[in-house]
Amino acid sequence: MADDLLAIHDLRTYFYTEDGLVKAVDGVSFKIKKGEVLGVVGESGCGKSITAMSILKLIDPPGKIISGDVIFEGINLIELKEDDIRKIRGASISVIFQEPMTSLNPVFTIGDQIGEAIMLHQDLDKVNARKKAIEMLKTVGIPRADEVVDEYPHELSGGMRQRAMIAMAISCNPKLLIADEPTTALDVTIQAQILELMRNLKNDLGSSVMLITHDLGVVAEMADYVIVMYAGKIVEEAEVVELFKNAKHPYTIGLLQSKPVIMRDEDRLNSIPGQVPNPLHMPSGCYFHPRCSHAMDICRESQPELKEVCEGHKAACWLYEGVI
Amino acid sequence: MPGTITKRGEMMRQYITRRLIQMIPILIGISILLFFILQLAPGDIFSTMMNPHMTAEMKEELRHQLHLDQPAYIQYFYWVQGVLKGDFGDSFYFKQPVTRVINTYIWNSFLLSLVSFILSVIISIPIGVISATRQYSRFDYFFTVVALIGISIPSFYFGLLLIKWFSVDLKLFPVSGMMTPGVNFVGMEKAADILYHMALPCIVLTLSSVAGLMRYTRSSMLEVIRQDYIKTARAKGLRERVVIYKHALRNAMIPVITIFGMWLPGLFSGAIITESIFNWPGIGPIELLAVNNRDYPLLMGINLILALLTLLGNLIADITYALVDPRIRLK
Amino acid sequence: MEAKSIEDVRELATEDIMSPWKLAWRRLKKNKLAMLGLYILAIMVLLSVVGPLVSPYTMEQMDLSNIQSPPSLAHPMGTDEVGRDVMTRLFYAGRISLSVGLFAVVISVVIGSVLGGIAGYYGGFIDSLIMRIVDIFMSFPFLPLLITIAAVMSDWKVPPQYRMFVVMILIGILSWPGLARIVRGQILSLREQEFMQAAEALGIRDRRKIFRHLLPNTYASIIVSATLDLGSAILTESSLSFLGLGVTPPTPSWGQMVQVARDLYTLQMQPWLWIPPGICIFLTVMAINLFGDGLRDALDPRLKR
Repeated sequence: MADDLLAIHDLRTYFYTEDGLVKAVDGVSFKIKKGEVLGVVGESGCGKSITAMSILKLIDPPGKIISGDVIFEGINLIELKEDDIRKIRGASISVIFQEPMTSLNPVFTIGDQIGEAIMLHQDLDKVNARKKAIEMLKTVGIPRADEVVDEYPHELSGGMRQRAMIAMAISCNPKLLIADEPTTALDVTIQAQILELMRNLKNDLGSSVMLITHDLGVVAEMADYVIVMYAGKIVEEAEVVELFKNAKHPYTIGLLQSKPVIMRDEDRLNSIPGQVPNPLHMPSGCYFHPRCSHAMDICRESQPELKEVCEGHKAACWLYEGVI
Repeated sequence: MPGTITKRGEMMRQYITRRLIQMIPILIGISILLFFILQLAPGDIFSTMMNPHMTAEMKEELRHQLHLDQPAYIQYFYWVQGVLKGDFGDSFYFKQPVTRVINTYIWNSFLLSLVSFILSVIISIPIGVISATRQYSRFDYFFTVVALIGISIPSFYFGLLLIKWFSVDLKLFPVSGMMTPGVNFVGMEKAADILYHMALPCIVLTLSSVAGLMRYTRSSMLEVIRQDYIKTARAKGLRERVVIYKHALRNAMIPVITIFGMWLPGLFSGAIITESIFNWPGIGPIELLAVNNRDYPLLMGINLILALLTLLGNLIADITYALVDPRIRLK
Repeated sequence: MEAKSIEDVRELATEDIMSPWKLAWRRLKKNKLAMLGLYILAIMVLLSVVGPLVSPYTMEQMDLSNIQSPPSLAHPMGTDEVGRDVMTRLFYAGRISLSVGLFAVVISVVIGSVLGGIAGYYGGFIDSLIMRIVDIFMSFPFLPLLITIAAVMSDWKVPPQYRMFVVMILIGILSWPGLARIVRGQILSLREQEFMQAAEALGIRDRRKIFRHLLPNTYASIIVSATLDLGSAILTESSLSFLGLGVTPPTPSWGQMVQVARDLYTLQMQPWLWIPPGICIFLTVMAINLFGDGLRDALDPRLKR
């Protein structure tokens, strides 16, 4: 389709650890349209971040991308050589990481770190890169930008650091912005500000956003389309309103119920029983069945496929086999 | 921006002053420790210098002159008083002021230590970095083995092996000394002659420090390349070389600098054995000479100088540390 | 009564406490280099213990008709300047060098962990006092200090057979500060943790808190650093004895046996006298380092990918 910015098909990223094989991303396919915000939801360790890092081929050993296509503007990134994909990183696709505390290099000034990407991708000299860096800092709403540009990360607060990270990420007008839990490490009030900032920037720049989070509130606020991941696989996907109104997969339903909603008469929060399975010893059949209250015999035996359960809404669950 | 630099410069000056002041109690502690260790020697510590032909009166006179008739703590204050005036007393063996003896030999030690220190840094840092970036590669294994050998072999034994192979059997290098005796080289020829004599002791000293520094650099680098900001740097599209040698190395060097600070004076004291095996006319053989002849004033002088160098080495390391790591608050 | 209940909990938890050690042992067994080190070390210990018993010669037995002879069937490693069998002396020297190293480390571990534990636990004035002493020891160049004290002590005319005890005490007393720092650092972070606050709330005595609750949590790092220190203690002893300030003849030690090579003639013409003891030091120290590194990787897997 013409309006697809990114299309991932059957991506598999495995980790060959000392203790055994971990299938961190196991056959994931999805698309991101131009200007769309895709929310990727799941508990930690479900493969959300690895999926995002696989797009830029930023997987460290013992991890390895086994197979799959990542088509970005008609080019398969998986097949690109290191030198070529580097021109994409930080330019057409850039990343905002979770921990503003540790994601900025402590020994370089904010200006150096922002300017570095600008000099690299936009062919500006040092003086102009610095000017652009100050401009970017102003864009993300950092006060005293011309002073902050010479400060070190430890001199800034967490929220300011995350703003600086965002300034760095958008400095080359990326077409796709990958935001990996951008607000998780921040205070609630700061979270709201950062989300607001991201939404405005997205509208101004017209970028697409891949928003990775475990927080359904963030998804509801930001995303257009949502995919839910569990144990390296997509278990459900739909447009955001549809998903919240009409969740199908028991895992998604569980996630929604574990979210507090004001004004609803409930005595206590529900939580999904059990834990994320050990990646080295995955259960048979549907990976979710040991925690699922609807588990049937077939769930223990074979894995359900991701299928359309109603229009524009897919789920991988035996409960909906034969619904359509 | 210039404002912050002067501010930091001012803070640095205060920091150095403060650190120098903090060194004083430690130096006092060291001098007390040293002085009273010598008091542990049986009998009179100056007995070795007494000429057996001296009359009792002369002995008494000399003892009084040297304050030996006073209690130990009084003797300590007399000694400290001298040291503060730059007077470490006279060496029994050389019959010269201790300061003059040390001054004669310490520069040779400086030369040897400095050359091997520079060599160690030049060799160990790149190897440590490459080992870390190619963890478990053949390169990594090879230098892990080299480092292991360097750490495990006693320096005196390695020195003797080198003398046997390269000096005695192959006759490639001189057995000992710093210059060819009986020849008066000048200028470049003199420098070449010294380098020629320096080769083997330098190899011994360099191997032992390279081994340690390489491992520190490697493990520090391994720690750093797993950090989030390295991922950020890669995600910016930087070349791997820039990621490693700019973003990672600068951080990895922070702990390594501390080790350098500890190594700097260690080079001197570690060189004692190496210098004496190769008869390098440095402070090492003189220290052993002082020990074997119970030349206590000289021994005290050398030890105090070595302790001072250690403290200065630590100070230099801390200052460099503060220069490299902006997070260090100069307090 | 409250204290008893926490003891019960501790008993119950014993099985869980055991398993990390078992896990570490399993990891260690997989590490080929570490096991190689362990085997070499075992062989060196075995030779030193059993060697003298099976050797046809004694340590001081002189064969004056057969002095300075190169290796032969009767003397596989030749004889020295008074006709003593070099191999037999090598076995005895191994006993001395290994035990001096071992006891020096035991002494330094005891002093280091007790002082480090006290400093870390009490903090305040006691902490500053102990740490200043550590600073003084650590800012002193180790070898010169050691040489100086060894020289002074050799004036005490300690009989040669007891010199090895002087050497082990000396090395032990001078090597504790590093360990004290490590233990103190760990205790400082441990005492902030919840189980210690629980112990605090239960009113357990200080001594019990330090020795029963805090120190056991630092065992892993103590063991690792003690193992690596063993290597340096053996190196230190050999250097000291090589300089004639450590174990003195007729008691042999590996370092002291290398001393003969300072004579150029011996260095060149009689390698059997000094090459083997040097190899013994090298192999032993290398084996200890291999094993110690493996131990660290096994006990602290965070360092390994």
